Amino acid sequence: MRMSIKLTTQAYCKMLLHAAKYPHCAVNGLLVAEKQKEKKKDSHSTPILCVDCIPLFHGTLALAPMLEVALTLIDTWCKENKYVIAGYYQANERTKDFRPNQVAEKVGARIAENFSEAAMIMVDSTRFTMGCYEPILAIYDHHENKWKCRDCNADCFEDWCEAQKITSALLEGRSYESLIDFDNHLDDLRNDWTNPEINKSVLHLC
Amino acid sequence: MASVSEMYDVTWEEMRDKLRKWREDNHRNSEQIVDVGEELINEHASKLGDDIWIIYEQVMIAALDCSRDDLAWTCLQELKRQFPGSQRVKRLAGMRLEALEKYEDASKQYDSILQDDPTNTAARKRKISILKAQGKSAEAIRELNEYLEQFVGDQEAWHELSELYINEHDYGKAAFCLEELMMTNPHNHLYCEQYAEVKYTQGGLENLELSRKYFAQALKLNNRNMRALFGLYMSASHIAACPKVNATVKKANVKYAAWATNQINRAYQLAGRGTKENKCSVKAVEEMLESMQITMS
Repeated sequence: MRMSIKLTTQAYCKMLLHAAKYPHCAVNGLLVAEKQKEKKKDSHSTPILCVDCIPLFHGTLALAPMLEVALTLIDTWCKENKYVIAGYYQANERTKDFRPNQVAEKVGARIAENFSEAAMIMVDSTRFTMGCYEPILAIYDHHENKWKCRDCNADCFEDWCEAQKITSALLEGRSYESLIDFDNHLDDLRNDWTNPEINKSVLHLC
Repeated sequence: MASVSEMYDVTWEEMRDKLRKWREDNHRNSEQIVDVGEELINEHASKLGDDIWIIYEQVMIAALDCSRDDLAWTCLQELKRQFPGSQRVKRLAGMRLEALEKYEDASKQYDSILQDDPTNTAARKRKISILKAQGKSAEAIRELNEYLEQFVGDQEAWHELSELYINEHDYGKAAFCLEELMMTNPHNHLYCEQYAEVKYTQGGLENLELSRKYFAQALKLNNRNMRALFGLYMSASHIAACPKVNATVKKANVKYAAWATNQINRAYQLAGRGTKENKCSVKAVEEMLESMQITMS
């Protein structure tokens, strides 16, 4: 029985802000969940809650070295914060292209090695609007070395109404201009890929 | 909504200079260009002199990026009026058709430019962009190769081709394009560093050693290139950990990796000054060093 995945507002928001900041590029990033203490008997009914999103790169996604650096550093950060890398998201360069490609499958598989319930998320830019009236994600699960698409609706969110409202508000306010991804961090180490200011904005609007 | 000049307390001259800087740096910050440019055009057109034409062009392209067809159309009309029959303006009209996804019409527009002037590189490159937009990567690659046979010095084209190859995971050919760029731009640390990344991705001991050398070269050209520094660490670590290498090579690479780690540590400490996130990054770097000592034994 597949554990369902849920996204917090903060996780969804930052994913969409990342895509909005670089509309002409492919973007990708990671999703993190809180580390479960021990496996409960009825653990199949507890969904995995992705509490945060770490935007990684924009532009060329198919090169290895910086991705490895990011995975290493973020893994350490996760351990410090009792998180685990639980998912990967990607928005392709071309709006109409929302199928997972080789990069998505490779990174997804790598994450699944450490976290069997890992999800791969593709952003559907054709339905991306300022109003955010519907969830625009396609969620894939790893099944026998293949990625299977699962339905994404309001159930995939901790609180869809909140996510819709806040993401829309931050898009209108152009918060994406200050979103930091790992690429920005490599350009200037002072750029903080945990995006504390945006996290504050999200909390503020809750 | 407040005007740009009010919000940021800038004069029209400063706005004009900002637009010039963005033009020179080839920035694609289209929303900002539209904000600043539209206000300049609407409020200060008379003061801009002949600058206004290049600003119309810049704002038009940015407007297309932001789906502001109204603004793009206005700019285009002004340019058409001022420069009737211009190939450069025709190309802009073609770009507008592309933005509206009228690819066939756009293509015809570019073909008509090429009929009058077969050496018009801009029109040829736009045709290749259409192929890219339609997801026809193989064709785009083929056309771009043909283009480069004729216009072998076009750096933008070589770089575009390297990106197309990387997206197709054809790292060997991407490396070739970057080699062309490095030959003609030996002081450009970015090309060196990108070449190193491609080599690293290709994998295998030989490519790893090459990647390490080019990461090092990029660092020599710009000692603040963090990607090069991290890349040097990663490539040297992988080489040291490889069972095929002899003791001398291993020892040397352990040294390179350790040096890189210390530099990375220093860079974070300079940048971080104790912020929570940077403390974690410093810790991660320390863990990297520890894992190095394990592979050494």
